[in-house]
Amino acid sequence: MPLLGRRLRQLVLGALLGTVAAHVCAAPASAAPSLEYAVKANYLYKFAPFVEWPPRLFAQPTTPLSICVVGEDPFGGALDDAVRGQTFNGRPIIVRRLAAVEPGSPCNVLFVNRPTGQSPAEALKAVAGEPVLTVTDGGRGGDVGIIQFVMEDGHVRFDIDEAAARASGLSISSKLLSLAVSHRRTGA
Amino acid sequence: MRVPGVISRLGARVNLTPVMAVSLAAALVFAGVGLGLYNEHLSVVERERQGATQAKILAASVAAPLAFDDVSTTREYINALRVNPDVEAAGAYGRDGLLEAGYAVLGPAPPREITPSPPRLEDGGLIVTAPVRQGSTILGSVYVRTTIEAWPRRAVRYLGIALLVLMASILVAVLGAAQASLREAHGKLKAEVGERQKAEDALRQSQKMEAMGQLTGGVAHDFNNLLMVASSGLDLLDKTNDPARRERLKQAIRQAIDRGASLTQQLLAFARRSALRPEVVDIAALVGGMRELLERSLRENIVVDLRLGMTWPVEVDASQLQVAILNIAVNARDAMPVGGVITVSAQNEPGEVDRVRLSVRDSGTGIPPEMLERVFEPFFTTKAVGQGTGLGLSQVYGFVRSSGGEVQIQSELGQGTTVSLLLPRSAKPVPESAPPPAAIPNDREQRARVLLVEDDDSVAALVCEMLDELGYKAMRAVSAAHALDRLASDGPFDLVFSDMVMPGDMDGLQLAQEIARRRPELPIVLTTGYSSAAASASAEGIRLLVKPYRIDTLAAELAAALEGGDRNSASR
Repeated sequence: MPLLGRRLRQLVLGALLGTVAAHVCAAPASAAPSLEYAVKANYLYKFAPFVEWPPRLFAQPTTPLSICVVGEDPFGGALDDAVRGQTFNGRPIIVRRLAAVEPGSPCNVLFVNRPTGQSPAEALKAVAGEPVLTVTDGGRGGDVGIIQFVMEDGHVRFDIDEAAARASGLSISSKLLSLAVSHRRTGA
Repeated sequence: MRVPGVISRLGARVNLTPVMAVSLAAALVFAGVGLGLYNEHLSVVERERQGATQAKILAASVAAPLAFDDVSTTREYINALRVNPDVEAAGAYGRDGLLEAGYAVLGPAPPREITPSPPRLEDGGLIVTAPVRQGSTILGSVYVRTTIEAWPRRAVRYLGIALLVLMASILVAVLGAAQASLREAHGKLKAEVGERQKAEDALRQSQKMEAMGQLTGGVAHDFNNLLMVASSGLDLLDKTNDPARRERLKQAIRQAIDRGASLTQQLLAFARRSALRPEVVDIAALVGGMRELLERSLRENIVVDLRLGMTWPVEVDASQLQVAILNIAVNARDAMPVGGVITVSAQNEPGEVDRVRLSVRDSGTGIPPEMLERVFEPFFTTKAVGQGTGLGLSQVYGFVRSSGGEVQIQSELGQGTTVSLLLPRSAKPVPESAPPPAAIPNDREQRARVLLVEDDDSVAALVCEMLDELGYKAMRAVSAAHALDRLASDGPFDLVFSDMVMPGDMDGLQLAQEIARRRPELPIVLTTGYSSAAASASAEGIRLLVKPYRIDTLAAELAAALEGGDRNSASR
């Protein structure tokens, strides 16, 4: 694990460089976005400890935490690498890749990224009101989930829509809220 | 300083030996050291707990920034600890164990890399690490180094306890030593008191002997006179046949012998060596009985005037009282070189405490006022060397004080001196004296057989005569062994009359005991001139006749013994 952490930090730096490169070259085909997404992949499972789902979802002690990626997978193998060997309150973490989501899809964390069969808005709407932590990539525009990745000074940051979380029956730790970009801006 | 009663009573009961004191002091020191160590342990545990709490709080607060690589926020949280002066250094570490953010205000900076470990003391501080976790997900760890109180400061903190313990130990040790020395002193004092008691007894005896010495001259002179009367009376008896004259001579001889007997009785009672033995006495009877003694020990030109009324009984040692009166009388005699009158008076003196005043007044030269205060001091004397020891009045003082009484002395130069003994009244009655001897039985028909045991031939011959005169059939044995032989071989005896002090293995007392064992029904009467022997016979409950005795006394005693009367009513 220490090695991965060290690599991640390098990735953050890489992402910064990559972003700069993207602006300059306007060439999306570089390796930089995958470094940025390696960080985001890492964050995806790290959100889970700071979020409280309704207990009924995890009635069985072996029920896994499932992280769904709907649409195009921008992480490559990074997400699978990140969750490998990790647990969530003693439960395994699994990654599902879906073309589209519908109400009742077995997702606890849902990363919405240009679904093929539906628009992001449709995907978000499909799970609206369900206890699903929706994550969107703000850098790509479109409808936003409960958590939205943003880039700030070359760092991967996020914003949190707490009202949406409450509406979905999720409660998000104030520790996480305090790191949200909007929260930091409003100046705690 | 007044000690509360409970504590002083407790102190009196606690017997602190030096070993106990030292053990107690050592126990105190041990307890103090133990308490200090325990305190130290507690304070370390408390420090660890505080450090762990601090680390846990820090870990909880840096969980999110550490998870999402927000170094500036992490640093903010870490730096928040700076307000705590106890925290020397703090750091937050990622999941890989590498330092994310940290600071040190004192001592070395937080290490670049850490692994979780239990709290430990290092670099003069207490290092505590705590994992950073959210739920069960480990997100990294934190490092907190808190100050440990510096050794001198801790030492100062324990110095108070140490001083208290030390003082208490010293106090206990000193108390133990003090008590030990006190006990030693007490032992010495007791031994000394015992020695003094012995010395006082010896002094009392010597005072008595001193008085005896005063007596001896007068008594010897008197005795010679008595012997003269007896001797010349006997000579004259042989030379006359005039019944009236013979009767007169016999009377004179009888009187001389009676006075001699009375004198020796007094002397024996007087010389008896004993501790103070208080008995209830009638002063009039006691002092009245001393007339003979006083007249003999004084001079012809001194008149003794006894004015003894009925007084309350007092409880004193009779022989000491006699010695006291004699001592005062001898002093009175010496104060009257040309003769005079010594008045001895006794009267009751009612008061808060009823007392009997016994006064001895002389018409002598008197004592100068400056000497009056010193006359009771031992060895103080106004007499020439060889004439007095200066112990006389000190005996009087010591005796009266130990009897619970008081001595007063009044003197006027040229007028005379009065010494008064104030003795407390006794609530007990004077014991009844022995009844007078019974009438002489003159039953010549009886011819009871008496075995006389007497080693002295002349005495034996005379006593045989007396027994024959009284109508007894007397046989003589010369020793105790001889007496036992005759008892066995010469047929039945009705009574054994034995001297007490005899040569041979067995004395009269042992003979009496032996006969009582062999023939318990056979009456025994002992006789002696020694007062100590008489006392032991009385203690054994054996009939006793004190020498010299008169024929009528002998008759009464033997008759009483034959009748099997009370064995204890020995006449003396």
